[in-house]
Amino acid sequence: MALVPTLTIKDTTTFSDEINFSITDSLTVTAPSSSLSTIVVDTTGANNIIVAANDNKQTWLFVRHTGTSDGSSSTSAHCDIEITGDVAVGTLKPGEWFFFPFCGNGASKGVQLQAVGSAVQCEYAYWSDSTGQ
Amino acid sequence: MATTTATVSISSGDLNPGSSLSINASSQLMKTGLTTGLELMEMGNHSIATSTEFNLSSALGEVNGAHYVYICNTTTNDEYYIEWGLHDTMIGNLNSGQWMFIPWNNAVATDSEIELEAKNGTCTFEYAIFKSAWTLPTAAA
Repeated sequence: MALVPTLTIKDTTTFSDEINFSITDSLTVTAPSSSLSTIVVDTTGANNIIVAANDNKQTWLFVRHTGTSDGSSSTSAHCDIEITGDVAVGTLKPGEWFFFPFCGNGASKGVQLQAVGSAVQCEYAYWSDSTGQ
Repeated sequence: MATTTATVSISSGDLNPGSSLSINASSQLMKTGLTTGLELMEMGNHSIATSTEFNLSSALGEVNGAHYVYICNTTTNDEYYIEWGLHDTMIGNLNSGQWMFIPWNNAVATDSEIELEAKNGTCTFEYAIFKSAWTLPTAAA
């Protein structure tokens, strides 16, 4: 099964030299995977584990902050991305997304989300890379 | 106003039974709050010798600031890959041609730098970091 992710970054106003680049790839993916799902993220990371510990199974993870607390009410609250055990990776603001490869690091680690201050709804999906490094 | 937009599309014709997958998401990169207008950018490419680490971002960035990081393994040998992680926590692998894009908030000044390590052979990669602040080192007297 093939998955084709493409990233495009554009900026025509910040610098005198326009930024406009695009990169695409083709990933061969296998089970386990999770198609797009939504989750209302609360302020305790351990309650919002979206990728379970997988012991070195390479996984591609997409998460997007929907800009709402529950699918309808808008929110400005941020949402932290963490490796289980509270290792902070980054913070999603309303409407933002990330896409990165994750593996369990041989130490039974997963990925969790943690809302900052109040609940945030996110959507997410993940796919396992068949190379399994 | 300075506006940087990042867009991702993820598609597949054979992943879901009976339907194709087509995810599209676009966002304007924001400062630490909710305003747009990132002013700083670093872009470049490097090579990393086998089993050595490259510290992509030193601890000089603004702690808990707004940073967005793009990394692509441009190595052409399919057996060479890059491990990426934060300080001592290994997070994932980038194989030949693979890319990633994350918001990175440098949560702990000396313990959350992005580290890349080449595996099986010398790896080349390209990167871009967009950010809203940068603390310059103190000039020597």
